[in-house]
Amino acid sequence: MDRREFLRNLGMVAGAGTISMALGNIPVRAFSKSFLNIQAVNGKVIVLLQLSGGNDGLNTIIPIEDGLYYNARPSLGIKKEDAIKLNYLTGMHPSLQPLKALYDEGNVAVVQNVGYDSPNRSHFRSTDIWLTASDSNVVIDDGWVGRYLAKVLPDHNPINPEHPMAIQIGSSQSSLLECTCQGSMGISFESPNQFYQLINGSTADNDPPPNTIAGNQLKYIKEIAALSIRYAEIIKEKADLVENKVEYPNTRLGRQLAIVAELIAGGLETPVYLTSIGGFDTHANQAGNHANLLSGVAQAIDAFQADLKLLGIDDKVVLMTFSEFGRRLNQNGSGGTDHGTAAPLFIIGRNVYGGVYGNNPDLVDLDNSGDIKYQYDFRQLYATLLTQQLGMPVDRMPDVLMKDFDTLPLISETAGNLNGPTSFHLYQNYPNPFNPATTISYFLRVPLEVRLDVFTANGEKLVTLVNEYQDVGNHNIRFDASAYPSGIYFARLDSGSYRKTIKMALVK
Amino acid sequence: MVKGITNLSKISEWDEAAARHLLARTLFGYTKQDVEFALSQSLDNFVDNYLLSDQPEPAQPGYWVNDPANENNTERTRELIYWWYNLMITQGYSLRERMVLFWHNHYVSDVSKVGLAQRMYWQNKLFRDHAMGNLIDFTKAVTLDPAMLIYLDGTKNRKGAPNENYARELMELFTLGIGNYTENDIQEGARALTGWRVDGITPYFTESRFDEGVKTFLGQTGNFNHEDVVDIIFTQPAAATYFCRELYHEFMHVAVDEPSVEAMAQILRENNYNLKPVLSTLLKSVMFHTDEVRGAKIKSPIELIIGTMRQFNVLTPDYVYMRQVADQIKQVLFSPPNVSGWDGDKVWINTTTLPARHIFTDAVVNGKKPNGGDLTFQIDLVEYVRTFPSSEDAVQLIDDLATIFLQFPLSENRREYLLDTLLDGAEVYDWSTNDPLAEDRLKLFFKAMLRLSEFQLS
Repeated sequence: MDRREFLRNLGMVAGAGTISMALGNIPVRAFSKSFLNIQAVNGKVIVLLQLSGGNDGLNTIIPIEDGLYYNARPSLGIKKEDAIKLNYLTGMHPSLQPLKALYDEGNVAVVQNVGYDSPNRSHFRSTDIWLTASDSNVVIDDGWVGRYLAKVLPDHNPINPEHPMAIQIGSSQSSLLECTCQGSMGISFESPNQFYQLINGSTADNDPPPNTIAGNQLKYIKEIAALSIRYAEIIKEKADLVENKVEYPNTRLGRQLAIVAELIAGGLETPVYLTSIGGFDTHANQAGNHANLLSGVAQAIDAFQADLKLLGIDDKVVLMTFSEFGRRLNQNGSGGTDHGTAAPLFIIGRNVYGGVYGNNPDLVDLDNSGDIKYQYDFRQLYATLLTQQLGMPVDRMPDVLMKDFDTLPLISETAGNLNGPTSFHLYQNYPNPFNPATTISYFLRVPLEVRLDVFTANGEKLVTLVNEYQDVGNHNIRFDASAYPSGIYFARLDSGSYRKTIKMALVK
Repeated sequence: MVKGITNLSKISEWDEAAARHLLARTLFGYTKQDVEFALSQSLDNFVDNYLLSDQPEPAQPGYWVNDPANENNTERTRELIYWWYNLMITQGYSLRERMVLFWHNHYVSDVSKVGLAQRMYWQNKLFRDHAMGNLIDFTKAVTLDPAMLIYLDGTKNRKGAPNENYARELMELFTLGIGNYTENDIQEGARALTGWRVDGITPYFTESRFDEGVKTFLGQTGNFNHEDVVDIIFTQPAAATYFCRELYHEFMHVAVDEPSVEAMAQILRENNYNLKPVLSTLLKSVMFHTDEVRGAKIKSPIELIIGTMRQFNVLTPDYVYMRQVADQIKQVLFSPPNVSGWDGDKVWINTTTLPARHIFTDAVVNGKKPNGGDLTFQIDLVEYVRTFPSSEDAVQLIDDLATIFLQFPLSENRREYLLDTLLDGAEVYDWSTNDPLAEDRLKLFFKAMLRLSEFQLS
């Protein structure tokens, strides 16, 4: 069916029946003529990938030198020699091999131990917490994306513009896109074609409903009908404009990401996409199942990134994975793992500063249930995506996330530039203040000859911790200050061309 | 904004429009014969001796409801859903199944946490037993219901380690509403509710887990147990108001008129929390039958799915497809989204669920699923319209069908659009159900009528 035929079915082509130009006559807010102003979101897009069921973080990003991990998971633990090495302490599940090349190019950030205070281990409740960005003990109804779209984006954009404000690929609609103030801020469909077929044959009508309770209900339903009709067409049009440049795996997730790539490349100005895959609730017989799940995710993401690059839009898009919780350290009696807490997630894109952020989970200092304590609040990542990718002013953060959160230095236009000062990143040591030892971490985006020195407050060199040619990736260096007095110390990373320094406090 | 009216006096005109509205809100869809039957009775007789009458207990879905073990839970849950669909479709002129669904969305439990379909069956039976009974007895029974004990963690609530989940929801969502109790009442109420656990499908009490100390709950002090908690809750005036607001939502519309709710609550209190008097008064009242209320409710997915079957008189539908559709349009029985149940009203309708509702009605008319597979039933549309005396008069036929399928009055434009669709280019005097093209034209017509936004309203 061509566009004209489609319009004809809607009664929008003159002479097509008794309901010509039907859409134009209802005063529906959807019919604002202004287009979504691409400037307001920097022309950028975030793609969220929900791993439903609770992805096992400890078998995704593996603490390859931690005996406690292998003790707790005698049969499920991923052996050091099988893991894909990210740095000398940290490995990745072998099924994630397709992400290794992306990681080496510096396009994959692994953020460790993401969670929240007083973690809830119910799928439903914890999913809600992640989707609504609430505190653990607070129940709210709308999603953080919905609030962003309803409260912040309209600073520069009409509500319900020509292009949908958010798209969920799937047949149900997540509360992520809801805002209690406006209702649903996005639309959902399985595929542009299916959506188009779904709408095909629908008629919009121009009878003004009476101003009664029933009339207002009718008006609402007609608005939704008109919205879906309107968006089905633009979505089909944009999806038809371009074709994927790579072959995606023929999986649910592969198809979802293929659609997202087409729509972005076709010029749809929708800033937020939600994709999802389930099955991560691996209480039993986890080993094979989890490997298959991760390999499905990695293959789909790999194809997506390759496609974005060939389509010339890899600088527009950042993808983030999330899951309602990680899983317990100890494997259970059924060859699986039970619900846990904090876990790593991935942020992927050309404009991402790759590397491992945060430490391997502390498997000694667990919570009362034997679960990992969080290092980063999940909302720090939302704050990071909103401000660094979508250009949201920092002072609007409480409108979306209810309070302020620190961001992580993860996304930038210049991240893709491998030369110059961004060729490495030196992180704040952890813990800090410390006694007597701390870990100094840095990430190399290219192989470099580096030197890591520690100085006293007087500028006197104390010790050289590293002086060698090192590989791309994250490096964690332990600094033991048992022999030194309390005071301020400086660690300096020197690549020959550039230097970066951090300040550390030894408190005995 | 529309102002509500508070008028619980009985309507003077028991006519077709009143009968259609009453049937639309109390059954899941109705037929032409149902309207005729209702009008053959007096309003009093139809409401009190049909809608509100006690009904015999339906047969159990299977021997398995007595099995305390967890086996084939997914299949059993589906069997239970199909079983309930069947009861809704074959309920006759009774409000009961409608009330059972109302209670499922009030005293909420979710099979995924409750664990056993059997427990959901027994809870469903409890809802049916008390559907129009006494709220105090009902609430006491719900408090010890195995599904509820598990769903809201009553089984974890014991002396020295209280779990407040049920105590909180009992007051917040089930009986009083927020603002009518304190955090302290929740803690003290939880203590009084201690001691109960579930063995398979049976609740049991363990003395040593019960907190026998003195509690101060909603202003009263004593060694209270679960029955006392419920009795004390129903001494609060807020309880009657809370239930009547929910009933107002269910039978009237979402724009609640508080004075009307209070007038209903007065009847409920005067009748010691027996439901029938207030239901009887409401369903016969001027305020229920006012034009404002007609067509003002968005159909729930179950109303839409079951109602469409009943409107076409399909008594043995395609249960598997119905459940799939219910999933797509977001109302899977025994799996409400959270403890507050389905939000209802506008939340039912979004850019995915509305087109999916259209696809469903298309499928019913076509006798084929969207993927092309046959449904287990086929509607003979020609035979169906021939049950209307107006079947050979296109203009009158459309009006007569609209009175069965649409609660919202058709505008002149819509009527003309439906007529054009039915005639499909032919002249109005050419219309005949004997025409070989009649079946195709009726398909187009019914699909168009059921795709009208008006069809989503009840």
